[in-house]
Amino acid sequence: MKTKFLLLAFAAIVTILGNTVEAQSVAITNARIVTVSGSTIPSGSVVIRDGLIEAVGADVRIPADARIINGSGLTVYPGLFDAASTLGMPAPSGPQGQGGPGGGGGGAAAAAAAAARAGELEGISNYPVGLRPEFRAADVFKAGDSQFEAVRNAGITTAVVSGRTGIFTGASLVTNLAGDRVSAMIIRSPASQNFSYRTIGGGQYPASLLGTFSAFRQLLHDAKRQQDIERLHAADPRGLKRPESDPSLTALYPVINGQMPIVFNANTEREIVRSLDLAKEFKLKAVISGGHEAWKQAARLKEQNVPVLVSLNFPKGTAPTAPEADPDDLSTLKMRAETPKGPARLVQAGVKIAFQTGDLTNVNDIFTNLGYAIDDGLSADAALRAFTLSGAEIFGVDNVTGSVEKGKIANLVVTRGDVFAKERTVTHVIVDGNVFEQKERPAAQPGRGRGPQGPGQPAQPAAGSIGGTYTITIEIPGESMPATLVITPTGSTFTGQLRTAMGNSDVQNGKITGNAFSFTAVVPYGGVSLNIDVSGTVTGNAISGNINTDQGAVPFSGTKNP
Amino acid sequence: MFLIKEKIMRKTSIFLVFAALCMFAATAATAQNGDVLIKNATVMTASKGTLQNTDILIQNGKITRIGKNLTSGSARVIDATGKYVTPGIIDAHSHAMLDAINESSFSVTSMTDVKDALDPDDISIYRALAGGTTAALLLHGSANSIGGQSATIKFKYGKGKDDFLIKDAPTGIKFAMGENVKRSNFNVPGMTPRYPRTRMGVVETVRDAFTRARDYRQAWADFNAKKTKTPPRRDLQLEPLVEILEGKRIVHAHGYRSDEQLNLLKIADEFGFKIGTLQHGLETYKFAPEIAKHGAGVSIFIDSWSYKIEGYDAIPFTAYMLWKQGIVVSINSDSDERIRRLNLDAAKAMKYGGVPEEDALKMVTLNPAIQLGIGKRTGSIEVGKDGDVVIWTGHPFSPYSRVETTMIEGEVYFDRAADAQKRTAAEAEKAALLKDKMNSGPATGSGPGAGPRIPRESIVHDRDHADQEKTGDTHTDQEGGHR
Repeated sequence: MKTKFLLLAFAAIVTILGNTVEAQSVAITNARIVTVSGSTIPSGSVVIRDGLIEAVGADVRIPADARIINGSGLTVYPGLFDAASTLGMPAPSGPQGQGGPGGGGGGAAAAAAAAARAGELEGISNYPVGLRPEFRAADVFKAGDSQFEAVRNAGITTAVVSGRTGIFTGASLVTNLAGDRVSAMIIRSPASQNFSYRTIGGGQYPASLLGTFSAFRQLLHDAKRQQDIERLHAADPRGLKRPESDPSLTALYPVINGQMPIVFNANTEREIVRSLDLAKEFKLKAVISGGHEAWKQAARLKEQNVPVLVSLNFPKGTAPTAPEADPDDLSTLKMRAETPKGPARLVQAGVKIAFQTGDLTNVNDIFTNLGYAIDDGLSADAALRAFTLSGAEIFGVDNVTGSVEKGKIANLVVTRGDVFAKERTVTHVIVDGNVFEQKERPAAQPGRGRGPQGPGQPAQPAAGSIGGTYTITIEIPGESMPATLVITPTGSTFTGQLRTAMGNSDVQNGKITGNAFSFTAVVPYGGVSLNIDVSGTVTGNAISGNINTDQGAVPFSGTKNP
Repeated sequence: MFLIKEKIMRKTSIFLVFAALCMFAATAATAQNGDVLIKNATVMTASKGTLQNTDILIQNGKITRIGKNLTSGSARVIDATGKYVTPGIIDAHSHAMLDAINESSFSVTSMTDVKDALDPDDISIYRALAGGTTAALLLHGSANSIGGQSATIKFKYGKGKDDFLIKDAPTGIKFAMGENVKRSNFNVPGMTPRYPRTRMGVVETVRDAFTRARDYRQAWADFNAKKTKTPPRRDLQLEPLVEILEGKRIVHAHGYRSDEQLNLLKIADEFGFKIGTLQHGLETYKFAPEIAKHGAGVSIFIDSWSYKIEGYDAIPFTAYMLWKQGIVVSINSDSDERIRRLNLDAAKAMKYGGVPEEDALKMVTLNPAIQLGIGKRTGSIEVGKDGDVVIWTGHPFSPYSRVETTMIEGEVYFDRAADAQKRTAAEAEKAALLKDKMNSGPATGSGPGAGPRIPRESIVHDRDHADQEKTGDTHTDQEGGHR
């Protein structure tokens, strides 16, 4: 008896150890499988082992150790691929575009901030923070499931992440959206360089759009020269002064050599045209991100073979609250109405598109807007491809993810109902083979702004909630100036006014990113007009930030009027 | 009221309502073969006198015949009986259609180029066309000793930005001296000022830049002669200055005081280059002989002064006095508002001193064309020149006259009758668009709707452009706010 008990106990231990040591497989059986790369399998199985897709097909042998998910009535898709995101990036701290804080690639700003405060910026680079392509988003990317949960529950398994601030916003990484260790999550880094039409601010060059162009050009010429001299020196160092080694320039080699994509953040037609011009001038492997008006340049995008990462954060009008308010102008109204039609037009013109979420904090908006694009002529197949394999292709990771294929990473989303249908339910999300099972609940409300945000969503107000009237104090040296700031958001942009005792100034270039905002204005000050560059954040009812002028920066803070 | 602001001529939009399409087909009929015959007009040629009852034939964008009783062939015929035709007006100093004007971080920003920041949809363009202006020199602002590179354009509203650029126009660059450059009016207590702060410093800054440019040119010459192994670093700031030294780039120099502008002519002589135009130059009447000797042109306001300390010595007879010295004089707007009525500014040159009618007209047509280096292709009504013409309801120097039609290379870019129709069409389109799902609240996201929209007026009184970084609608109620 005793022996038999021991034996049983031993067997039990072996079993337990066996389960943890050896990777158990998972099999989704009897499911409809939309592979994206190949034809759809009406009823078949997907076998997952050790984070990879081991087998897929209509007639697949289910391993004995498989945990079986009965896929009857369910559809398996590749995990959705968000082609531009700032998930996992530190929240913007302090004013964006300052010489020191916030000017750098993404959260690199946080590290740079300390150095800047101490006085001089550290580092080998000869270029100012904000113009430093060597910053890698991966270096500050934070792991941890909670921040990814909301979008992952919606079926997004993979994202391209870059920084939030700077002209060069930091080299992006392609990462899976589950895990506690960044090293294990990353699929590719650096995946692309990222460029925004911004300024450094604080009176530093480049302080205007004009300077942004000339600084970009000079940087690329400098990189080419450093690379050329490095080659000369490597071939025969004697008698040749050794080349300088500036990391900002070294980081650009793959870009100027056309090996690494450079993503231009560009929504308006003019920004897109400017990006295409730069791409042509320097023979860059360009990608457009945002692309609200990209359809207007579809022919050129096709001709230059430039893909578009279409933001699903479509601009949307707001209801005027005052009866005497001016309606929006015709061009704005037209731009908003046309944006959802853009994806279909781009696809029809033969332009490659991939979807990105545009940092929409409410996941329901992503699918509501995607639904508009489909209603406006985008085929469901094209939409799915744009949200899966196309993004992977653009960032060179389609050999490992983006479709349901044997040997690829097991990034899958399983739904009841079509993945983009209004009545869909996500039942399982699989990232790197890890199954995130979801309790089936009544179909998500497709309506705007009403759906659940999902647990673990970072405490970030939606863009719209920044709107309001704020009573602020501007701390000009020697005096405190009371002022009123009106913020009227429209998607990720806003209009409004800054009112002081000296006069009123309209908000120009108002932009909202999460709970951060920035704008420029021309303000009357002491009998002259000052160009100001304002950035700040809203936390709850509190607002704070900096006002930058050519002569320096002054802080402001205040609260929202009830 | 708001309709004025709409970009109603956008050809790129394929979703114009049907009415607009019909209208457009009617007005753009010339585009079918590009040929147009203007019949029986009073033609003010701006170079060869005023011709009565004269026809102008424009074929493939060029003026091919001027005379009486011309036959139309396949050209569209416009009956201009009782009307006046002038060359398109040219503004030698404008900041229209620029998304950014000043890069004020450094005092030498020759590496910047306003061609990077063109906004072909700027409503100011359409307004300029409605005032008969067809071409302009788009300049960087006046914050810097040496500002950015300029753009010489025709206002081909509705086309892409590259179509605006006059391909064979010489390149240009903005210089500036005086208050704006030394940042007199941008002194915020506690802030570190930018060098230079004095007029001495401005001169030093320019001289230093050209000294560096000369060294830079030598460094490349040495490399090309194989005296050095590695190429010099390409310096985008100095390259345009080398072009100036080599006479390949026209300098357009903002300034007010005669002593300063004379200083600049001396620096130019010292380094062996020419100043193309002295811009503003409200005191140029004080040293006209020196200007004539140097060979510079002058581009002025006809009767605008005292809006800043530097502008107190201006007189309205400057145009006349310079003209007497044989200097090429143009009258510019430096303003999205005044650009619409430069014809009346030209008329004032007749009033103050008595410049003859044709020479007054030249000050807003052929003379700016010469200053911009495009005088061979436009600026006057002559066979072989571009079909850039304006049809006026009466004499262009009368305040009662209106522009009826503005053409660039034979293509209609403004037509008063068509404009009225477009407004109706735009109203209908707007009403329809307001109902679109994307234009009705609430906004994406879960925030509250919005505060009241602030009515905006986008006309800018921006003469002299002290420092404006124009990035959209600019609200300037206070007269003198931006001078």
